[in-house]
Amino acid sequence: MNAYKKVISDYEALHPDVSIDYQTFPYDVYNQKLKASFSAKSPPDIAEMFGTWVPEYSKNGLLAEIPGSEQLQTEYYEAPLGGYTLNGKLYGLPLEFNIENGGMLIHPQMLKEHGIANPPSTWDELVADAKQLTVRDGKGIKVKGFDFVSGDNITFTFLSMILQQNGKYWGENDHVDFQTPEAQKAMTALTSLIANDKVADLTTFGGELDTSDYFFQGRSAMTYRGPWTVAAGLNTYKVKDFEYVPVPSFTTNPPSFSAESGWGIVASEKSKQQKAAVDFITYMSSNDNLLAWNQSTFTVPAKKAVAENPEFLKSNPYMKTSLDILQLGKWIGPIADRDFFFKTINDHFQLMATGQEAVEKGLQNIEKTINESQDQHK
Amino acid sequence: MNLGTATGRNKGIEPGAERAGRKNGRKFIYLSLAPVLLLFGVFAFLPIGWSLGLSVFKYNPLSGSALFVGADNYIRMLGDSVFLKSLWVTFKFVIIAVMVNIIITLMIAVAIQRIRTGWLRSLMRTLFFLPTIAPLAGTAIVWSTMFNFNHGLFNILLDKMHMAPIQWLSDPHYALYSVIMMTLWADIGYNIVLFIAGLDSIPDMYYEAAILDGASRWHIFKDITLPLLRRSMLFISVTTVVSYFQAFAQFQIMTKGEPFNETRVLALHIYEQAFSNSNMGYASAMATVFLLIILVVTLLQLKWGRTEWEY
Repeated sequence: MNAYKKVISDYEALHPDVSIDYQTFPYDVYNQKLKASFSAKSPPDIAEMFGTWVPEYSKNGLLAEIPGSEQLQTEYYEAPLGGYTLNGKLYGLPLEFNIENGGMLIHPQMLKEHGIANPPSTWDELVADAKQLTVRDGKGIKVKGFDFVSGDNITFTFLSMILQQNGKYWGENDHVDFQTPEAQKAMTALTSLIANDKVADLTTFGGELDTSDYFFQGRSAMTYRGPWTVAAGLNTYKVKDFEYVPVPSFTTNPPSFSAESGWGIVASEKSKQQKAAVDFITYMSSNDNLLAWNQSTFTVPAKKAVAENPEFLKSNPYMKTSLDILQLGKWIGPIADRDFFFKTINDHFQLMATGQEAVEKGLQNIEKTINESQDQHK
Repeated sequence: MNLGTATGRNKGIEPGAERAGRKNGRKFIYLSLAPVLLLFGVFAFLPIGWSLGLSVFKYNPLSGSALFVGADNYIRMLGDSVFLKSLWVTFKFVIIAVMVNIIITLMIAVAIQRIRTGWLRSLMRTLFFLPTIAPLAGTAIVWSTMFNFNHGLFNILLDKMHMAPIQWLSDPHYALYSVIMMTLWADIGYNIVLFIAGLDSIPDMYYEAAILDGASRWHIFKDITLPLLRRSMLFISVTTVVSYFQAFAQFQIMTKGEPFNETRVLALHIYEQAFSNSNMGYASAMATVFLLIILVVTLLQLKWGRTEWEY
């Protein structure tokens, strides 16, 4: 919030004729608040949007085009820009790279106590270490060896494992294709972590705490989560004896990963102050302003120049793991209904992991359900 | 019965004056009914009509236009596994919650009615009614913390009894029953008060006669109390069924329909389709079907629960 206030007051100082009324809303109601305001034809001049929400607005002609699309597309990474792009044009600019993959939180002390000198460097090592690190008591798993069971990470890990085999998960006509050998292999390995390797369980899934909260409470040794969780560990839990290290690729290929377009800013097409709104977006997206914004919000830069600026890494050393792989990120793709997409994969993952559904059948069901949803939004 | 005033047939009144009086009477009736009809029209019938119209369109509020799809939204429902699941969950919730509610509230009402000390009786009535006053959203949040796996009251109690903790809200076997427990706690006060009123209205002479005839407590309850409570029972069951069909807040706050859609009641599914997924047309079609279901269930209840006696 302070990061926005700072950039707004700087802009107002440079443009005395412009006054920006900054309003905030709780996340739970924000998406619906936005939809209501755009539907009622009284949208804000400028709005912060999650990249995955943007296509619904841009394809209905509700957002102003950002000039200089061609140049801007070379300045940003592919994944954060995907959601803001429609027919080669940009309808807003991302402020951050929403990366949930590629890095994990580890407790080095727990690894040492189990005779593990370094974090795993291959997938097989990861599984072997996770098995060793898992602690059980009479009630079940007390400390999870490798926790990836969160609403985001099941899906992101599954999709990334397909990409790491050089596979694809999008078919024709904006339909997903999960009948490939790569998808089968990825889901089999993922469900096996629960069913056979037993390095994590489903007991905390869907609860009110995040997997990173359990990690900082000492209830998992390695937890797959985005770098944004580091701030919670440092500030909320006041934990310092942890590291954020790379998650090895599922194959010998580089650790490619799938990512959504994260938070960014858009201007309304109907805005009476459209020119000033677009100008503010351009101003906020300057390298200096984005550097300051990413530093103070502990977010990963979406713009290459900011990510490559040594100042950024100096101020956020935990980000190194994520910064090293940003160029490997692929936009998740044209998902029509984000929550439904993730929920469908998560629901069937649980059924497959607990043996209530075979992997092949589960993937068929996921594909059928998601493609029906994709068709409904055309 | 004297209809003189109403029909205007009193002797000595001119026919013209009679007509004028009748006209004025009608005006008064229309004027009196206008506000309430306007209220119902604008806030009940107009939205129902609008929703019926919308149900044959594919409509996203962010898009400028709506596409006419005829019966497609209704046909889609037949193959929509989430809709069918939520329909099943709704009926399961309503049947279990209403039955348990009526049994518990009737038992508590009978127990309270037997208390002869006036202040104690009032105290008990107030105690049971108190949860009803609390906002349902607040109650749902409090119960969510009590259902917490790690630090919730219920798992602390299970731990004290050396029993394994339960995922009250995330285990598909328990989630719906957990919400039912919370709903019953929050809602039984109304029905207890209504049952007490019903019990109070049964004349004592029936009980006196039964006692003189040597009837047992169970026979008195089965053959006098229950039959003579039938009118109260009908009212309570109809209002409780309608209210539980529309249950929404506790599901939205406590489970959001999870896990595996095991707590996705129809009201929540309609809300999410309309406002999260922007499928206004489809949500309207589901709302229309839901309206018809509630209507049919209510009519059946009224038919089966009809009484034709007086005392």
